[in-house]
Amino acid sequence: MKKVTFIQMILLLGLSISSSQVFAQTEQAHKSTNKLETEKTSQATKQIPSLSTDVWQDEWANDWQETTELSPWKFGYFAEVAYGRFMQNNVVESNTSLSELRGRVNVDYSHELFEFTAKGDLLFDEVLQQTDVNTKELNIAFSPLNNLDVKLGRQVLTWGTGDYVFLNDLFNKDWQSFFSGRDDEYLKSASDSVRMTSYWRDFTLDLAWTPDFSPDNYLTGERFSFYSPILKRNIAPNENFIVEQTQDSQWSARLATSIQGVEYALYGYKGFWTTPLGINHQGMAYFPKMNAWGASALTPLSNGIFNVEFSIYNSLEDSQGNQAAIPNSQVRALMGYEQEIVKNLTVGLQYYLEKTQQYDAFIQSTLFQSTLFANEQVDEYRQLATVRLRYSTLQQKLVYSLFAFYSPTDQDSYLKPAIHYRYNDNYSFSAGANIFSGSKPYTFFGQHQANTNVWFRGRFSF
Amino acid sequence: MLNFLKKTRLITLSFLTLMTSAHAAVNVDDIIKKSNLASYYAGEDGSAQARMIIVDANGNKQMRQFTILRKDQEDLGDQDMLVFFSRPTDVQGTVFRVTKKVQGDDDRWLYLPALDLVKRISAGDKRTSFVGAHFYYEDVSGRNPAEDNFTFISSDDNSYLIKAEPKDPSSVEYAFYQITIDKNTYLPMKASYFNEQQEIIREMQVLAVQDIEGFPTVVHAKMTQLSDGSFTEMQFRNVKYNVGLPESIFSERSLRTPPKTWLR
Repeated sequence: MKKVTFIQMILLLGLSISSSQVFAQTEQAHKSTNKLETEKTSQATKQIPSLSTDVWQDEWANDWQETTELSPWKFGYFAEVAYGRFMQNNVVESNTSLSELRGRVNVDYSHELFEFTAKGDLLFDEVLQQTDVNTKELNIAFSPLNNLDVKLGRQVLTWGTGDYVFLNDLFNKDWQSFFSGRDDEYLKSASDSVRMTSYWRDFTLDLAWTPDFSPDNYLTGERFSFYSPILKRNIAPNENFIVEQTQDSQWSARLATSIQGVEYALYGYKGFWTTPLGINHQGMAYFPKMNAWGASALTPLSNGIFNVEFSIYNSLEDSQGNQAAIPNSQVRALMGYEQEIVKNLTVGLQYYLEKTQQYDAFIQSTLFQSTLFANEQVDEYRQLATVRLRYSTLQQKLVYSLFAFYSPTDQDSYLKPAIHYRYNDNYSFSAGANIFSGSKPYTFFGQHQANTNVWFRGRFSF
Repeated sequence: MLNFLKKTRLITLSFLTLMTSAHAAVNVDDIIKKSNLASYYAGEDGSAQARMIIVDANGNKQMRQFTILRKDQEDLGDQDMLVFFSRPTDVQGTVFRVTKKVQGDDDRWLYLPALDLVKRISAGDKRTSFVGAHFYYEDVSGRNPAEDNFTFISSDDNSYLIKAEPKDPSSVEYAFYQITIDKNTYLPMKASYFNEQQEIIREMQVLAVQDIEGFPTVVHAKMTQLSDGSFTEMQFRNVKYNVGLPESIFSERSLRTPPKTWLR
């Protein structure tokens, strides 16, 4: 792969912006076709006496007159520069955890019968030394029946009640983005799916079908290291981390309703573990089959929101729990509460429990394979508590936030402090850190101590 | 001389008391009720396009543009609302849904399109900025009259001046506020919020009213923060009443799939 310098990046970004002007011109053309409509409206608005018209004397004032709402096209763009680095030595190739320049184009076309959405990134990623065009969304949405919505194509899918903790939401996540300080938007990756939502009385039934299995963007060592139980240290295999790919499909379903202000939902999933947790006979990592079902409830409770959710993960290839190379089934449960405790300060608390099924068989099988791993296994009841603090000030322009994961059973933690400053409608800046700590080198968060990083992002939206 | 002054003051005072009692015939609660109806409950339902310009103390400007759909469950009662943001680009596609409740906390939801996330949000403090503007959530959806005690101050040919004191002073940032209500339309044309020192800290002014389908409607208003001169102006256009919004559109479906027919 060719190394792209920052100057080349900027030049290329310039190109992408000038090509986006073509879109702007198309928008302009649409506006002029609406001119007649516009003249009518502006006559009507002239009657409004305005005492302070001066503040409207800018581009926007004209936009308002031109009734952009009537144009079926909508465009949005941003350019973002992001940089992050590790706070200590890490076994990965680069000391930078994030170094990239991104150009985004959003296009929406609204027709009476359908809605077309395209969102794409041109990304110059210096850490991975590659330039990519990433299609974030490319889909068409329509309602073939009165009570049926269909969305076809690349899309982001989300459900469930957890905050950064996912039980029944088994849609693909981008953990590399999450760990590196990219915008939350990038935690949810898109999948090529068909989503059908039907409405019957007070019930909503969602069915999502992903014909080609879409796994998470898990850690491979290209950006972050992870613990190897064999080598007893962190490794960064990167391209040597070979994973057997799966082509089969995933099905996800949700049945939701609301009874007296309480939102209930049932979930089902048929597919695979979304990270390659299994080891096949060739010693290669792969995605074992997994089905899941669960339920959730969410309700307002004394000025806040209370939620509970559980999910049962059936690891189909290890139903007895005695295959050391395949993850056991699990029961996952979550309880959460969020409230604005004082003006502009919101606090969210969550407690999460992950029970490994057939735990005895699980320990026996790992012991049988090697005593090396036995004492490094997760507890039968892995517990996790999270705290979210969010304080907004300067009329929501400045937001301080902290998200903390702490596991009393693993004795490890993950802190995500961040500051976000929205200077105006165009410029925003964010800075933060991903801080991992733990008393053991092999636990869920503890293994990432060397991945602790700080980051900065600046975005120009237009 | 001093005595004389005292006397005149006494006379003036008793005269004022007389006037007030004469005006007691003007039922304050009735005015407030009519004003609440005129401001927030015109028609059975309504739709409007709105925009705000937010100007900070240094003159920096921000913009917001959105479409509002509203349906009353009953006059002076609960209401359903949907707010669809179209500008600026970083909030485009964001939808805010509220069920305003006269008794108890409002239900609120936020849809973030980039994450395909429908987030139930806690009722929270209603006196916090609405999407970064100087208007509070409560200014947009209407403060529940049951939360204040109203007293009549004066009236002239065109308007009533009414004082409102919060029943729970700890729940608000002001000591009291005064509203000027138009005698014809019952629209509050001005609201001044005072601190303990009797200084105005915040002021809402109506800059333009239009008659729309027989409903006098505020189409331009301004909220000023007097401590630093920062302000937000809000304008409405394309205001329509009694459009026949179906109850079914006030649901999660509209967050993901905005009801196009009603947004034109």
